[in-house]
Amino acid sequence: MDIGRPQRIIEIEPVSLPLPSPDLPAYEPATEPAPDPSPVEPVDP
Amino acid sequence: MTTASALRDIEATTGIEPIVAWRTWALTGHRDGSNLLLRPVAGRSRPWRPMQVAEAGCKHTRLHASPSLGCTCGLHGTHGIDLLRRTRCPAVLGRVALWGRVIEHDHGYRAQYAYPQLVTLICQFCFWQWGSHGAGPDVVGWFPRDGLVPLCWSHLELAQRYGMEPRRLLSADEVGLALRETYAVDQLARW
Repeated sequence: MDIGRPQRIIEIEPVSLPLPSPDLPAYEPATEPAPDPSPVEPVDP
Repeated sequence: MTTASALRDIEATTGIEPIVAWRTWALTGHRDGSNLLLRPVAGRSRPWRPMQVAEAGCKHTRLHASPSLGCTCGLHGTHGIDLLRRTRCPAVLGRVALWGRVIEHDHGYRAQYAYPQLVTLICQFCFWQWGSHGAGPDVVGWFPRDGLVPLCWSHLELAQRYGMEPRRLLSADEVGLALRETYAVDQLARW
């Protein structure tokens, strides 16, 4: 494959590598907080 | 042939964003569609390993860093698709990020580092005949030495008629998905 004559040289130092993350952290479901206790009906004396 | 005086006039610049170019690969894998590897279509260059940066090397000589101005070495990418229609037996078409030392040519690039960004399986016969207007492959034929060849139904039939008989047929959708998962890249949707 002929890509023609060289035109310019570019030195590229990317800010971040265009490479996928090798190990994404495993998904851990958040622990649901315990539900608030039901309000207690005041009892008349 | 590029003369020495022409090489001296080459402009040099710097950048922080990778260049994105077109490229084709050959594909190998086991008979069950596992162990997929993108490979250069020409020669016996090293495969592009999943999740690893592809790094250029020069097989002609180890006396220069690759890519070198006076050589043809480096990881190639093109400005457009049409030039790739002449490549030998492509199985995968994609967009590739290039960085490090990159030499821009009239119709493409030679780079020091690269990694695929978007990929799609192609029927090499459709691609050769119709370029971006070709149909996508329906199956992937598995051949001895782990060669994988995506084909549309009509070109599979034609290939079989001329003695190119795959040992096993795999689903193109499943191989395409496995390839994208292996390299953690997205589907090249429109091209």
